[in-house]
Amino acid sequence: MVGNATENTYQDDSLLSKLDQALTKIEDLLAFIGALVILGLMIAGTFNAIGRKFFDTPVWGYIDLVGLFMVAFSFLAIAAMQRVGGHIRMELLVRRLSGRTLWAVELIGVLVALSIMFVLIYYSSTALVRSIELGDTTIDREITIWPSKMWVPIAFGVLIARLVLQTWGYLRLVANPDLTPIAVPLMHSEAELADKEIHDTFGDDETEVHALKD
Amino acid sequence: MDEFQIGLIGSGLLIFLVLIGVRVFYACALVGLLGMVSIVGWTGGAGNVGMIPYAKGTIYSLSVLPMFILIGFLAYHAGMTEKLFDAARKWFGWVPGGLAVGTVFATAGFAAVSGASTATAAVFSRVAIPEMLKYGYQPRLAAGVVAAGGTLASLIPPSAILVIYAIIVEESIGRLLVAGFIPGIVSAIIYALLIIFMAWRNPELGPPVKGFSWGDRIKSVPGTFPVLFVIFVIFFSMYTGTTTPTEAGAMGSFVVFIMALWSGMKWNTLKGALMETARLTVMIFSLVWGVLIFVRFMGFAELPAVFAEWVVALPFPPVVTMICILMFYVILGMFMDAIGMLLLTLPVVYPAVIGLGYDPIWFGIIVVKMCEVCLITPPIGLNCYVVAGVRPDIPLQEVFKGIGPFFIADLITLGVFLAWPEVITWLPDLMIKKF
Repeated sequence: MVGNATENTYQDDSLLSKLDQALTKIEDLLAFIGALVILGLMIAGTFNAIGRKFFDTPVWGYIDLVGLFMVAFSFLAIAAMQRVGGHIRMELLVRRLSGRTLWAVELIGVLVALSIMFVLIYYSSTALVRSIELGDTTIDREITIWPSKMWVPIAFGVLIARLVLQTWGYLRLVANPDLTPIAVPLMHSEAELADKEIHDTFGDDETEVHALKD
Repeated sequence: MDEFQIGLIGSGLLIFLVLIGVRVFYACALVGLLGMVSIVGWTGGAGNVGMIPYAKGTIYSLSVLPMFILIGFLAYHAGMTEKLFDAARKWFGWVPGGLAVGTVFATAGFAAVSGASTATAAVFSRVAIPEMLKYGYQPRLAAGVVAAGGTLASLIPPSAILVIYAIIVEESIGRLLVAGFIPGIVSAIIYALLIIFMAWRNPELGPPVKGFSWGDRIKSVPGTFPVLFVIFVIFFSMYTGTTTPTEAGAMGSFVVFIMALWSGMKWNTLKGALMETARLTVMIFSLVWGVLIFVRFMGFAELPAVFAEWVVALPFPPVVTMICILMFYVILGMFMDAIGMLLLTLPVVYPAVIGLGYDPIWFGIIVVKMCEVCLITPPIGLNCYVVAGVRPDIPLQEVFKGIGPFFIADLITLGVFLAWPEVITWLPDLMIKKF
């Protein structure tokens, strides 16, 4: 497993922090929808394979439905991952920076992200409008496509909101590096990343494994 | 300015953005967009790029990834690890360094259920290290074998990283996953032989554990049936083409899910596993479509083709070029996560490797093995950090020292794969002929 996905931001009573917490709820809801669709795919994939092989009754429109529902786990958690700094990057340089220089470099990173996401949200929205106008359907079962396409600009919109908050967060740190970082992810050491991997593996199970019987 | 020059400038800009810490998928997407717009204009370029996220993010074959990732998160809770290790130590305990050898084969078995290296290392740090320490094994060996054993997860199917490779180079996911099986076993055997040799030379490193009768051994086998069942479901359904990789992954995760429920998994644990799967999945998917935007630009700029021609024309034997490429991955792996490293480099490196005459499946296994080596080497070496995290009594430097022999074993394994490519290609080739 990779990625830095722990909650690691500070909170206070400021407007920025309140907006951060409100957006967090929306992001986590979207991520949860993605998680439920993954559970659904596990069940549908199993039933389709068994149904097709042994009972000659595959799940109706299985391939089409997977393609349409995939949008949930392909995009919906994208802002939640941005919040915690989980999207992969090279930290060779930024790990050596501190203070205002670090926050300025982080700000550049977020502005780069914003610039590309504005373009992508525009084109994903126009693709959605075109899909509604044309009445696009899947090839096999002729299921309407636009409800699936709709989630891409929604996910990108929440991501842009997150990036705007992070821009705000970094700007105030560039202005005054002594402030507490709010609404921006903090970098983890390898040891902290390893702790997260360990927690992900064992979940809430903290029991030690006892010695095996001979 | 011609397309090639735009391609070069774009590659330079991408390297710059990645170096200053811009998240890889944004950097790839932005450079891809700028490049496309420079070559074909705004309407054609941006319009083309704008279609890629949905088009590539909803490819059916990619849906296997969350299934494999979910198995990794649920595997520990299915309660199969202790029984697996118990059987392995009873069957292999009698050889020099027997418990460590047993650990290698138990991690290989667990790897056939879980595709996550760090999770495998974490689980066996809990299960195997206490047992090895109890029998007087050197902590350095105990920690090293667990950190190294964890890396087998990325070769032995199910393996998320092999799926990502397959998507980027447009190879058969099923064939690549099947191809990882024998190299994973060969890696495990080479680890085991190394441990036996070291413990035979220095018995204090890890004494044999005797006293198990044939009855004990046979009685331990049924405990491994759940693992064997999951292996059967995933491996054979893909090998025979009975199911798609997604369906195989879905069935595998369903079995592990039921076993985890049976073992008393709570809702919070399941929810946590699902949420982590969703986050990790979106991270990989974003990277995939971001890189594919860059790949589209590279295609228009014809840079990979020119680079491949240049590499092929180099006055060295292909094997020398291949070793240089592998060295490059070792260095890059010191600074970057394996998935990011693969996705960033493959669009340019892969056509050159194919131009040199190497097999796409073979190179996939080799390059994933290289990524795994990076998981046990400093400074990142995340598996070593995981072992030290689970076992705070074993300092990190001890884990890194313990990994030394296994690093050499990995180099030997890579040498075997370079000298005898059939070790990798035999099984997937057989799959084509039979099915």
